[in-house]
Amino acid sequence: MLEPGGPLGGVRLADRSRASLGRRRRLDRVARRVVALGGVLVITSILAILFVIAAEVVPLVQPPFAGPRAKVRVPLSMPPLAVGVDEYRELVYLVTARGVSVVRAVDGAVLRAVSLDGLGAARIVATSALGRGPFGVGLSDGRVIPVEVRFNVRFQDGRRVNEAELVAGTPIDASVGRSLRHLAYAVTPRGPLVVAVTGPRELTVAGVRESRPLAGPSRREAVRATAALRVDGEVTQVVMDGRGDYAYAGTSAGEVVSVALADPSAPVQRGIVAAGGSSVSISALGLLLGDRTLLVGDAAGGVSTWLILPDVEPAGLLRAHVYAPHTGPVVAFAPSRRDKGFLSVDASGGVHVNYATTGRTLLVLRAGIEGAGAMTYAPKADGFLIAGPHGQLQDWDLHNPHPQVTLRTLFGKVLYEGYREPAYVWQSTGGTDDFEEKLSLTPLVFGTLKGTFYALLVAVPLAILGALYASQFMHPTLRGIVKPVVEIMAALPSVVLGFLAGLWLAPMLARVVPGVFLMPVFIPLCVLAALLLWRWVPARVRRRLRPGTEVALLLPVVCLGGWLALRAGSAVEAALLGGDYHAWLLRTLGITYDQRNSLVVGFAMGFAVIPIIFTISEDALSSVPPSLAAGSLALGATRWQTALRVVLPTASPGIFSAVMIGFGRAVGETMIVLMATGNTPVMDWSIFNGFRALSANVAVELPEAPVGQTLYRVLFLAALLLFALTFVVNTAAEIVRLRLRRRYQTL
Amino acid sequence: MKGFWRSGDPFVWLTGAALAFALLMVFGLVGLVLVHGLGFFWPRDVARVTLVGGGAVVGEIVEREPIPGPLSPGAPRPFRVKVKQGNRDVVGADFVWIDESRIASVDRPAGLVVVERREWGNAYGTIRDVREGARVVAAGEEAALAALAGRLPAALALAREIRRIERDEVGRINYEQERIRLRLRRLELRGMREGPQVEALRAELAGLQSRYDARVRELDALKARQTGTLTLVIADGRTMAIPLAQIVRVSRPNAVGLAGRAGLYAARVWEFVAGDPREANTEGGVFPAIFGTVMMVMLMSLAVTPFGVLAAFYLREYAHQGPLVSTVRIAVNNLAGVPSIVFGVFGLGFFVYFVGGAIDRAFFPEALPTPTFGTGGILWASLTLALLTVPVVIVATEEGLAAIPRSLREGSLALGATRLETTIRVVLPAVLPSILTGLILAMARAAGEVAPLMLTGVVKLAPALPVDGFPPYVHLERKFMHLGFHIYDVGFQSPNVDAARPMVFATTLLLLGIVLVLNLVAIALRNRLRRKYAASAV
Repeated sequence: MLEPGGPLGGVRLADRSRASLGRRRRLDRVARRVVALGGVLVITSILAILFVIAAEVVPLVQPPFAGPRAKVRVPLSMPPLAVGVDEYRELVYLVTARGVSVVRAVDGAVLRAVSLDGLGAARIVATSALGRGPFGVGLSDGRVIPVEVRFNVRFQDGRRVNEAELVAGTPIDASVGRSLRHLAYAVTPRGPLVVAVTGPRELTVAGVRESRPLAGPSRREAVRATAALRVDGEVTQVVMDGRGDYAYAGTSAGEVVSVALADPSAPVQRGIVAAGGSSVSISALGLLLGDRTLLVGDAAGGVSTWLILPDVEPAGLLRAHVYAPHTGPVVAFAPSRRDKGFLSVDASGGVHVNYATTGRTLLVLRAGIEGAGAMTYAPKADGFLIAGPHGQLQDWDLHNPHPQVTLRTLFGKVLYEGYREPAYVWQSTGGTDDFEEKLSLTPLVFGTLKGTFYALLVAVPLAILGALYASQFMHPTLRGIVKPVVEIMAALPSVVLGFLAGLWLAPMLARVVPGVFLMPVFIPLCVLAALLLWRWVPARVRRRLRPGTEVALLLPVVCLGGWLALRAGSAVEAALLGGDYHAWLLRTLGITYDQRNSLVVGFAMGFAVIPIIFTISEDALSSVPPSLAAGSLALGATRWQTALRVVLPTASPGIFSAVMIGFGRAVGETMIVLMATGNTPVMDWSIFNGFRALSANVAVELPEAPVGQTLYRVLFLAALLLFALTFVVNTAAEIVRLRLRRRYQTL
Repeated sequence: MKGFWRSGDPFVWLTGAALAFALLMVFGLVGLVLVHGLGFFWPRDVARVTLVGGGAVVGEIVEREPIPGPLSPGAPRPFRVKVKQGNRDVVGADFVWIDESRIASVDRPAGLVVVERREWGNAYGTIRDVREGARVVAAGEEAALAALAGRLPAALALAREIRRIERDEVGRINYEQERIRLRLRRLELRGMREGPQVEALRAELAGLQSRYDARVRELDALKARQTGTLTLVIADGRTMAIPLAQIVRVSRPNAVGLAGRAGLYAARVWEFVAGDPREANTEGGVFPAIFGTVMMVMLMSLAVTPFGVLAAFYLREYAHQGPLVSTVRIAVNNLAGVPSIVFGVFGLGFFVYFVGGAIDRAFFPEALPTPTFGTGGILWASLTLALLTVPVVIVATEEGLAAIPRSLREGSLALGATRLETTIRVVLPAVLPSILTGLILAMARAAGEVAPLMLTGVVKLAPALPVDGFPPYVHLERKFMHLGFHIYDVGFQSPNVDAARPMVFATTLLLLGIVLVLNLVAIALRNRLRRKYAASAV
């Protein structure tokens, strides 16, 4: 081994050149380190892609946590009935029998104590659910006062100043002098409405009905009606949806009954479902954000959610999930104002953090407040407050950024609001804020696989047969031309293929579908016919075509076959399919025809995949040692027998790896599926329907996804899936290929 | 017949047919793009389609197709034609389908003109007169055309001057104002709300405002001079007044011969390549997209070459060849097969939000919450694509390194050169063509890639090029336009896809041309290299 830079024998070096040698050696050492460092850096940064993407996904699976931020005691003379907080969690208001107190969250100091206008000698005995604008407070004299607490935030000298303002509306006389037990209040599109429990089995509906005639001033008209409920137990709880369509009442016998309020002056009892197990009293009711899910808690600690589906009998309720039970009676619910989460609290101060989409109880906490009855979710869903009977007030931080993601919601069937049964759905955005995110990746994975399947269906036979021909039968000169052409085919930008597929191929294909399906029959028939004709051609002419150049002859034949197939297609359509295959498909097979469908994708993506499979297969086939083929031919096998029985089996691992790499390319292809399919996330195998692929979904939705939110991270997860899938498949293919190469060397 | 099958020839022919089919697909695709892309610029005849029962449609006949739907037995399938009738501002839709059964006659009078406009697409009709304000300057076709020939260049020059002032001078003032506002904001962040510095900046701002007002007055004066109009009589007999400032070109395709059409063709090709887009990209040129594509590819090359070469040299020349290096090599190879969208996701998460966000917080706090580097831009797109294409360069360079005969290196070492000297003086020159091949392939791949760009900074319409006359002249944080994205956007997001489709074909042809030329160069280079090594190995 030579010593680099070493002195040459017999040459006397001057001091200067010795110094220069030292410098050269140092430079060499430095260079070596720089290259090594740079190389390692480049390679690690390439590999770091996986970790960066994974780092964005990890928070999805991190468990939520909660901890108390402040525990204070508010000097109150009476137990709070309800509690609310502003979005910065600075000001807390507590509703007690005498009015509303505004309290500073950090130390519990009472800033203002307001007695309600018109309260008089009466006491506040109940409130409706808080957290959605105005709420109703029920008085001991049977009136209900609508109240709204507004927080006015302004900035003064760069600092935030937050003030609470109490707005009380016109009282509604609900039960004429009798005390209320429970009530629900909503400002419906037709006017404010109260549903109050006025007797053991009696509900009173009262409110103002506003009607706006086309001309003239709007009319306001007071409504009041009572409904005697036909139930076994006594009514313990009542809630009403925000539109005033339905009220739901729970009873001491574990029943939940729904009452239709379409006409508030004549409420109609619908049906009853047994919600509390074995007639355990219903102790708490609530509605989730969007009013499409009913929360039911019972005296035994059971918690369940029910989907509100008006056409389900008997009560328009469908049980969705049952949650981890509390140790004592559930006393209150607090729904989130951001998502489908809710809190449930029991009499001993145990708090559960639940999520309705997943049906899971995420956290079980102990606030340690005996008899706690008032609780609220912070408006930004970053905490909650709970108040006890003796003025105890606890402010908890809650870190729960991605409650809607579990393995089951990502890949399994989920029962969503408004659905009768569990389904795979991808629908990441909706028209309203109370929309339930549906983030099932299954339809997208399905779409990716469907597109890949049809692409490979087109590409694999063409590419492998073509490679077999090119490597075994083709004249070398011709091969020197064909291979670069196929390489060019691989270099075509996918956006070009997608554009042509979506705007040129799709409308054209829609006209000639029957003909396209006849092509696999007609083209081979034409080729065989051409061969028969060829055999009749005088040998003198025939000999001028050198073996291996048949493909030049075949180009027009294939064209002819394709044209014949299209002609036959329109004949078939006219004769057998009633002249309109769209109608025929719908009538006979019940399939609709989308213009941008899997057939189009099959051709376009097949086009993108053919060169990859072709090149690698051709490589594997032509590097089969020639001695094998020569031996076979020498034994009298025809060139076809040799190719089929000797060359193909030997090269089969290489062909397998070619298909795998083609699969990897098709899985990750983005622009073609984006442009050539309708991008609807449906799940069916019909070749005439579109789909939505993982890759296209990422391309479409990620630019709009807010950073760090659940959708953003789920899309990163989709990218990670794509990465992992292609990386595994490609590595497997690469290993197969390397082993094959070693085998050839030993042959 | 038995011999027919036994010879195996049918199967050979069938495999040949598969290859022929694939080749036909390639040729068909390239031919399709060529025909549509080049045909787009050719001035077609303007036809007057007279309908049965009166009425006429004037425009270019662009398509003919059979009418779908069930057939009555025995009757031939009826056809319909698609006519580009233009005059969108008056008649509503650019295109109209006409059943052939409704057509009484089609003729091509020489007097029909096509007016290409800045807005509302083409106008078709016959010329009535040219006016200056309310005054008729020239009436009748020939007189009007002559008057146009005199007036149109002046009107176009005036319009150009207005655009120049709007873009360059007013643009420069806006740019300066924004810069001073940011400097004020920066001072404010440091707690400086008054003082000589702040006063000076405010005075500067006031000076700019007065300059701005002066320019606006100047513009108003110029605009007041744009009074010329061309009156056209359109197919349904209505008249239409087109301001001369709105006109790009007036032509009478039916009246000009082949040479005239070729001239028009060249002018339209030039407009396409060098002009700015109009009408939400569906008309005009694609110069900003060409510029963006080229600049992005250049930036990518700057990033990918040193790193790719460094990594390849490390893997092949410096690292100890063992299982670890083979594993890394497989991983790098496989990275070339990872979907491009995944790189886009990485670019968004890492470059844009992580690195860009950090740069913004450190250097551009005054602009926050408006991101400077913390949003997609040409730099991030280039780096993302560099990462995407670095395996291509590594693989090509490594192949080149492996092909260099060992004797070459050993000779250099034996003469006393250090490893570094051998690498620089002997190995590098020999491997340079391979590096170039890899780089060209990388450029070709990058030029055609769209999906990662959608996440890292491409936009449908960029207000300014990433290079302009305002310091620091090169704006790497700016968003840019790209030919590939242009195809996607105009073809699929445009409200008027029918009108845009020919334009997309032209863009497709351009992109395809760039990618194919780059690939052919790389293939040619590689073949020459192979021959060279094959010769030197003997």
